[in-house]
Amino acid sequence: MRRLRRLLRPLLTGLDGLLTRLYGWEGNPIHQTGTVAVAMLLLLLGTGLYLVLFYRVGSPAASVARLAADPWLGSWLRTLHRYGSDLFIIAAVLHALRIFVQDRSWGPRTLAWVSGLFLFGAGLICAWTGYVMAWDSFGERLALEGGRLLDALPILSEPVSRSFAGDGPVPSAFFFVNLFVHIALPLGLGAGLWLHVSRLARPVLLPPRRLMWGMIAALTVVSVLLPATLGPAANPLSLAPATPTDLVAAWWLPFSERLPAGLAWGLGLGGALLALLVPRLTRRRREAAWAPSTVDPRLCTGCNQCPQDCPWEAIRMVAREDGRPTLVAQVNPARCVSCGICAGSCAPMGVGPPERSGRDQLTRLRSGELPALRAAGALPIIAVCCAKAPAAHLQALGARGAHIHQVPCVGNLHSSVIELFIRNGAPGVMVGGCPPRDCVGREGPKWLRERLFNDREAELQPRVDRRRVRLLTLAPGDLTGALAAFEQFAAEVAGLAAPESEPEAEPDTVCDPVPLEEAAT
Amino acid sequence: MKPARVLVTGIATAAGLALLAYLSAVPLPYHADAAAGLRLSWSARPERIEVCRAVSAEEQARREEHMRQRVECEGSFATYTLRVELDDRVVGETLVRGGGLRHDRPLYLLRDYAIPSGMHRVRVALTRRETTDNDAAAFAKAAVPEADTGLFAGRAQREVTERARRARAAIPARLELDTALAFAPGRVALVTFNAERRRLELHAEGERR
Repeated sequence: MRRLRRLLRPLLTGLDGLLTRLYGWEGNPIHQTGTVAVAMLLLLLGTGLYLVLFYRVGSPAASVARLAADPWLGSWLRTLHRYGSDLFIIAAVLHALRIFVQDRSWGPRTLAWVSGLFLFGAGLICAWTGYVMAWDSFGERLALEGGRLLDALPILSEPVSRSFAGDGPVPSAFFFVNLFVHIALPLGLGAGLWLHVSRLARPVLLPPRRLMWGMIAALTVVSVLLPATLGPAANPLSLAPATPTDLVAAWWLPFSERLPAGLAWGLGLGGALLALLVPRLTRRRREAAWAPSTVDPRLCTGCNQCPQDCPWEAIRMVAREDGRPTLVAQVNPARCVSCGICAGSCAPMGVGPPERSGRDQLTRLRSGELPALRAAGALPIIAVCCAKAPAAHLQALGARGAHIHQVPCVGNLHSSVIELFIRNGAPGVMVGGCPPRDCVGREGPKWLRERLFNDREAELQPRVDRRRVRLLTLAPGDLTGALAAFEQFAAEVAGLAAPESEPEAEPDTVCDPVPLEEAAT
Repeated sequence: MKPARVLVTGIATAAGLALLAYLSAVPLPYHADAAAGLRLSWSARPERIEVCRAVSAEEQARREEHMRQRVECEGSFATYTLRVELDDRVVGETLVRGGGLRHDRPLYLLRDYAIPSGMHRVRVALTRRETTDNDAAAFAKAAVPEADTGLFAGRAQREVTERARRARAAIPARLELDTALAFAPGRVALVTFNAERRRLELHAEGERR
């Protein structure tokens, strides 16, 4: 699995870079694959509601042909429905690939992975039934293949395929059941989606408006310009030389048709089982970089900030056992993904994954990196970068004189680290994080911005000159933009007076306890 | 955004959407142009292959009144050999049996054969594999005379009628179709079983039963 991940990573990074070059990291759809899939699902529900009004189970092919012939709403909405379903499948596949490549498919994320697979499977079945509804040559081909696969199972004494043999009309009941499945499954998708995001705090379900409406507008244009084809009506006594096949929704069809039904089932179920086992096959030992956060109850003031910032709802406040009149944070290791965002959210530095709490960050800085920098002379601009930032970006920043200080995630970074750099004479600290919607910790860049510039708890102290601090997004495919922003920042700090160096300065690490009543509010 | 970048983005987006539209309707080959097809499709009850015996008067007397059948049979459903010949060449020879795990359901048959278009002689034969000389009706004649009265009066006749009905509903021991047909390219000729006429019938050129 890790080898597969290594193989896929450059492909996905390349695609990520390409899309960033085209749309900028703010509009990069690959960072929004999950929300794009949900947006497409809503689009499918909307267009489907219109289409079902005109669908007749008694004459499926004729009713769809009438829709396709309607140059106004019918053809457009039918095409939008089809292209939307294709985009849903593409987005879902890319979403799963990203999660897999980013090592987010195991442990506390197992539920999301498994429910996501079921959602994807349900989406494929929806697409299958949708094409059968149209009952053109492609729908018939899908029905025949489905019948062949079902008939290989020893569960039905009468072969399903006989319904399509041509010795009688296909019963309306078949189209009714097919329609029922096509409508019922999306309702199930809604419930599955709830399960899929149930472990997330503040789940984001829709892409940014600009991206969402841009995509719908683009699909609308292509739906008008290139309306979806409808094959000739199904005829069981006719052998079509070719069918207009949707290779996005029915990518499996060319393979399945060439295989004996038993082997097709074996490969399909084997593939599904392998995908379901991914959380097991990719899991890590919960130690070092993957160890769950811990709380030092002596330091916890009961301020209730870490539960608010935790993107996984892995922390809650509980009553203390030492008699102090405050609450204390408690981490649920089964839900903690070790993103470390709590370490950045804790002003007294009492919570975080082992070796990554605010105190650990300061200790590491003081014991090695900072003395070495001071020994080398005046401190350069410090570029605090996410460890997942593209290597080319780090090299380029280093080549421009910045000192690279890597952190597992910028959301993990305690604001005191920035303060310590600046009070030791660094002319500026530039924090380079991932694009906000591409953060493995989900909300790292968002919370960091709030802590640095909007006084969110564990804020950067007022004594630190904000002009010396800058946030930067390091996205694959946007090296030029990142370097331009860095150079602008370097020019700005060069124009400031030389910073005061206070090597003995100590950032605040002690906070007042927060009384129970205050924590509750 | 620079105009050149807007242009490149627009072209890339248009290309991506065109690719999506293409992938949603790729003309995927299905059947060879000159191919025709022969399809066999029917469902029917297989015969019961039974060993029957007449129940003696003494034995019947020991049973409850509603259990007094004159003839008792045990057995299984027949199996058949399906043989399809095209121009005196065997294109398929398979064992056919009733549906279900215990093969006690009706026999459902669906076979497709790819055939080059043109004139062909087609022979389809479905032949029972088991041989039997057990005739329940014969046993019924030999059984004890009608002794039922009241609610059960006429049971002997009903037994005979029911056995005759079942025998009529079952596939004959041998079904055969031997015909010559011009197979049109891209068309399927369909062979079905007509249960009323108890014979195989051919439907060609889209003709429906």
